[in-house]
Amino acid sequence: MSIGSEIHAAAQRYDELLDSDGKPRQIAQGLWDYLHGLPPEELAARVKTVDAAIMTAGITFTVYTDAGNIDRSWPFDVIPRMIDKQEWDRVERGLKQRLAALNLFITDIYNQQRIIKDGIFPAEVLADSKNFRAACVGMKPRHGVWAHVCGTDLVRHSDGEFYVLEDNLRVPSGVSYMLENRQLMKRLFPEVFSHYRILPNENYPAQLYDTLAALSPRNGERPVIVVLTPGVFNSAYFEHSYLAQQMGAELVEGVDLVVEKDDCVYMKTIEGLERVDVIYRRIDDDFLDPEVFRPDSALGVPGLMRAWKRGNVGIANAPGAGVADDKVVYAFVPQMIKYYLDQDPIIPNVPSFLCMYEKDRDYVLANLDKLVVKPANESGGYGMLIGPQSTAEQRSQFAELIRNNPRNYMAQPTLSLSTVPTLTDEGIAPRHVDLRPFVLQSDRSFVTAGGLTRVALRKGSLVVNSSQGGGSKDTWIVDGGV
Amino acid sequence: MLSRVAENLYWMTRYVERAEDTARLINAVTLMSLDMPGGVRFGWDTLLRVAGIDELFFKHHEQADEAAVIQFLIRDERNPNSILACITRARENTRTFREVLPWECWEWINELYLYTRDNLDADLDRRRRYDVLQAVIRRRQSIVGLLSGTMSRDAAFQFLRLGRNIERADMTSRILDVGHAVILPNGTSTATRYDDFLWMNVLKALSAYPMYRRHVSVHADSASVIDFLLKNPFFPRTVVHCLREITEVLRTLPNPASVLAVVQDVASTLESADPLQLSKAGLHEFSDHVQLGLAKIDAAVRYHYFRSAPSTQTNIGVAA
Repeated sequence: MSIGSEIHAAAQRYDELLDSDGKPRQIAQGLWDYLHGLPPEELAARVKTVDAAIMTAGITFTVYTDAGNIDRSWPFDVIPRMIDKQEWDRVERGLKQRLAALNLFITDIYNQQRIIKDGIFPAEVLADSKNFRAACVGMKPRHGVWAHVCGTDLVRHSDGEFYVLEDNLRVPSGVSYMLENRQLMKRLFPEVFSHYRILPNENYPAQLYDTLAALSPRNGERPVIVVLTPGVFNSAYFEHSYLAQQMGAELVEGVDLVVEKDDCVYMKTIEGLERVDVIYRRIDDDFLDPEVFRPDSALGVPGLMRAWKRGNVGIANAPGAGVADDKVVYAFVPQMIKYYLDQDPIIPNVPSFLCMYEKDRDYVLANLDKLVVKPANESGGYGMLIGPQSTAEQRSQFAELIRNNPRNYMAQPTLSLSTVPTLTDEGIAPRHVDLRPFVLQSDRSFVTAGGLTRVALRKGSLVVNSSQGGGSKDTWIVDGGV
Repeated sequence: MLSRVAENLYWMTRYVERAEDTARLINAVTLMSLDMPGGVRFGWDTLLRVAGIDELFFKHHEQADEAAVIQFLIRDERNPNSILACITRARENTRTFREVLPWECWEWINELYLYTRDNLDADLDRRRRYDVLQAVIRRRQSIVGLLSGTMSRDAAFQFLRLGRNIERADMTSRILDVGHAVILPNGTSTATRYDDFLWMNVLKALSAYPMYRRHVSVHADSASVIDFLLKNPFFPRTVVHCLREITEVLRTLPNPASVLAVVQDVASTLESADPLQLSKAGLHEFSDHVQLGLAKIDAAVRYHYFRSAPSTQTNIGVAA
């Protein structure tokens, strides 16, 4: 485990813009000169303008614990993260490769289960999967694709390499912030945009539209596409509304939809019922259809699964796709790529210890102070143990949790996340970042130019989730350096 | 257009219209109170009655003094019809249909909300009152302008227009009723002397005076003002004008016949009204009748266009 042994070697931290001597990397030279040429009061004034713009635009998210407060401005840092296009091209290929393999895996799991029969993937992992949906067995969605929208979390380690931290295949969010960040940056530093060739990212909504349109069961006509949201109190409601607007799609809630006797989905309009072809759903499987999943769900649509299984409506991501979004299943993705595509993974996984295996478990229990322990099915950074920052009490609590339910836990070495210079109260200082590009797949595949760079705004913190004090930066894929 | 979205659009615009009308009313009445002759105590509770919240107010207050009334009208949390409460609800509504509006619209509504929240202090004293309320009105009017200049005349636009006109007609009928009754303590000699001046203030409360002057007269006698506010086809806050707008809107919507019939009933009532007669007696009953008619239109719209979605709004106003 070479990565684990390098934990905490702060000197070995990789900075995205500066080299080990603190000098700007070649790609960042122009930006650096520009920033240092700006009088501090001018920079402060521009930052203030951007903060006001964020406030006015109402770019917000919700933290579940902030009861009653549905607004929090999106914390945005003005210093962008930069990646050379040549490097990005390779990452992009790696992301497409990964999603292709994951989709083949999901189809296989709900059909022949060849990968289990061939001894590559253990049957017991599947048996314990919280996100396996028996109702999906035998389904073959259009184009063989289940996960149409994937938000892959990447981190760059001190060795300078990108690693995949997790695949978010259920309802990944953040893409609207990526798009808004770019708009803010253009207002903030228009001069720098003329200095660099920065790949635009504005085409995402159009690409998403095409991806969804390809799922329509009715050929020929312009498909009726809806974005299904749990409602205004959901933390990502801003994004649901934003994407619907950008795609010219209808933003609907469960109460707006109904499945009629013909097993087709309709929305209730002022003119009566109108047929829906494709649903981009932003609610979890559990809540989709009270007839099949949680009977107490008021967010979903009774009969939706029936309509989907009859092929009368496209749903993205498909119900059941979450079976591959599990931190234990994650550990097998490199094998899946080899098995289904006969290729080597272009972007490596972070080495992972699966507590279901005795040998791994013993190692994890003996090294809790050095590892990050994650539950298999949580998202948003909840329920994790960050070993080096944990108390003895927390560690013994996790040891207990692991022993009681080993299948539900996996551990990884604490990566030394790369940093980007960030504007802080103490001036410009390094802060840890990750990167979430968004990958689309239906009859075609697409990767955003860059993605959402999330930054841990607290000094030394490695937690970048917006629900836990994280912010974000614009991400520039730069063609040809200068 | 989704039924739920149509309903939210309709309410969003009713809320902002209500907020704007309240701001106009406060400004007009504040100026009016300065002109009151000696010996006539100005009744700030008139404002509460116009807004239909007098009962609610007196649950929390013993006396309707200026500071308490203004505070209650602009931002008191106990008043669900305060300017701030209306704008807050309009903003929350707008979140649910941002995608059907021009993109800047949300920013502007949000900005209106932030301005209102930050500037309508509890003690909005007379010195600042006029400017701040004007600023609220101006912000709301820029949104109306934005929508009028950049929005397709689709169903979304029509539901906004529908809500605006129902709310407006309601406000006009209430000012005619309550406003005149309390502003004019009938029969007293002082009041008679100031009759002209007081009817002028009824017009001002509806921002109608300049147009009245152009279309009718520089003198404001009761029959002419009642006639103008009910029946003038040109001024956009008269009851007849609002009804015409409502009719036009409905004609663009699917299968409007049953709702149009309700509107026609109200229009006939209006047509048969005799302003001279009303100026002598029966104005209160007539205003009630109009408000009841507007409530029937509202109910028909709900039944016909929103019925498929459970109603998530609560109308706190008097009408509907």
